[in-house]
Amino acid sequence: MKKKIFALLMGAVMCMGCMGLGGCSSDENSLNGSNSSNADNSGTGSENSDSSTDSENSSSSAAGNSDWDYISNKGEVVVGITYYEPMNYFDENGELVGFETEFTKAVCEKLGVTPVFQEIEWEKKEVELQSKAIDLIWNGLTVTEDRKENMAFSKTYLNNKQVIIVKTENADKYTDTASMAGTSIAFESGSAGEDAAKADETLAGCELIGCSAQKDALLEVKAGTADLGILDYTLAKASIGEGTDYADMQILDSVELASEQYAVGVRLEDTETLAKINNAIDELAQDGTLLDIAKKYGVDDIYAL
Amino acid sequence: MSFWEVTKQLADGFGVTLMIFGITLVASLPLGLIMTFGSMSKIPPIKWLVKTFVWIIRGTPLMLQIILIFYGPGLLGLEIKLPRMTAVIIAFIINYSCYFSEIYRGGIESIPKGQYEAGQVLGMTKKQIFFKVVLFQVIKRIVPPMGNEIITLVKDTSLARVIAVTELVKAAERIVTLKGLIWPLFYIGAFYLLFSALLTFLLNLAEKKMNYYSI
Repeated sequence: MKKKIFALLMGAVMCMGCMGLGGCSSDENSLNGSNSSNADNSGTGSENSDSSTDSENSSSSAAGNSDWDYISNKGEVVVGITYYEPMNYFDENGELVGFETEFTKAVCEKLGVTPVFQEIEWEKKEVELQSKAIDLIWNGLTVTEDRKENMAFSKTYLNNKQVIIVKTENADKYTDTASMAGTSIAFESGSAGEDAAKADETLAGCELIGCSAQKDALLEVKAGTADLGILDYTLAKASIGEGTDYADMQILDSVELASEQYAVGVRLEDTETLAKINNAIDELAQDGTLLDIAKKYGVDDIYAL
Repeated sequence: MSFWEVTKQLADGFGVTLMIFGITLVASLPLGLIMTFGSMSKIPPIKWLVKTFVWIIRGTPLMLQIILIFYGPGLLGLEIKLPRMTAVIIAFIINYSCYFSEIYRGGIESIPKGQYEAGQVLGMTKKQIFFKVVLFQVIKRIVPPMGNEIITLVKDTSLARVIAVTELVKAAERIVTLKGLIWPLFYIGAFYLLFSALLTFLLNLAEKKMNYYSI
């Protein structure tokens, strides 16, 4: 008998725990809902439910053509980036600088919203974008046919290329892609470097090592666990040479890989946002601002507008 | 970048690691006990529900759970937006509660039935028997397996980087990416080692204190 009472008691505790948890999370939900809809979270139940229906209304109208309203109502646009020179990196004072950083700020100023730079894991950029954790991908994003299935691209503003990096002592061994047969090649998984490797018949037959970041590909070559690495030209130029741990590596000039274009990634349905960004890019290109930024960060040699 | 500057930056990342660790531990310890009562419940629906939940959580990678909690609502088109850190902590608390609950259950079931009967003979209530007789013996018995989980938790915090939370590993990777230095990536091993040394010391201390309850 007492056992049963005990069990019931514990069951009740358990249920209360569950309800408490459920209550917490639903509170959080409605709080977040009201925050994102109109920031009028005064806390009472009825008002919360009101604001949540508001947000439902706005999201249903967003299905029509007000993707820009979603961003402009927030007043800020969350830009997904990874940190690398010369696109987005920290200067001596710890300030975020770089070509993409300044470019993003310039465009956002024209659009009247504040950019919020959010570091992301690059291989999850599509999920980040689709789940609205970020609003734009703006970080030396290469335009590819596969990616067009998942996102819309703005105008291209830089022409990048993929280059092969190698330890200087081995540089003479490789004169063309045919001489690379049987080697191991490191690149960032899901990057344009991977596409470049797989597009070439000889390279596709090599041992291919997919890393989680471009810098890991450098590390592979440095550690000798890969013979060659495929990286963005901009990144490779900035990260090997004097003063780095990669001073004994060089870009292989003798081999040309496919060239590519950089653009801003936008959600497929965000057509209005995309048009606004393209307009802003046009304006910045016409008044020369964009070229100035490109010169400042040494990417004017691949400037595309 | 000097050794000191690197250490300072890594310390920031370590702070995040400690925060995930601390909050998870503090919340999971009691939540795990509640789940134990659920999984030992005499009421079949509660027992069945909790056991299924524990099976799902223990049967899927923590990394997947973090991804699901953070991206899931947005992908379903809901207006819920959890901060990254919150999503990580929720995932960790749920995951570790499940593991803790099974350790508790093992501990509780290891106490001989005779002790419950003795308590009843002495006229103690079920509640008194559990909290005054059983619980402390359980705590003593579960210290070693709990120590295992707690030390694993320290290292599991590195999974937070999957949704770009800058914990210790991510902080080191950032230096590797931005400064072209490789050694910080291995230097963080020292942070983990020192912290688990501290935890091991504390756990040993706890075990010694519990000697009082030895039979």
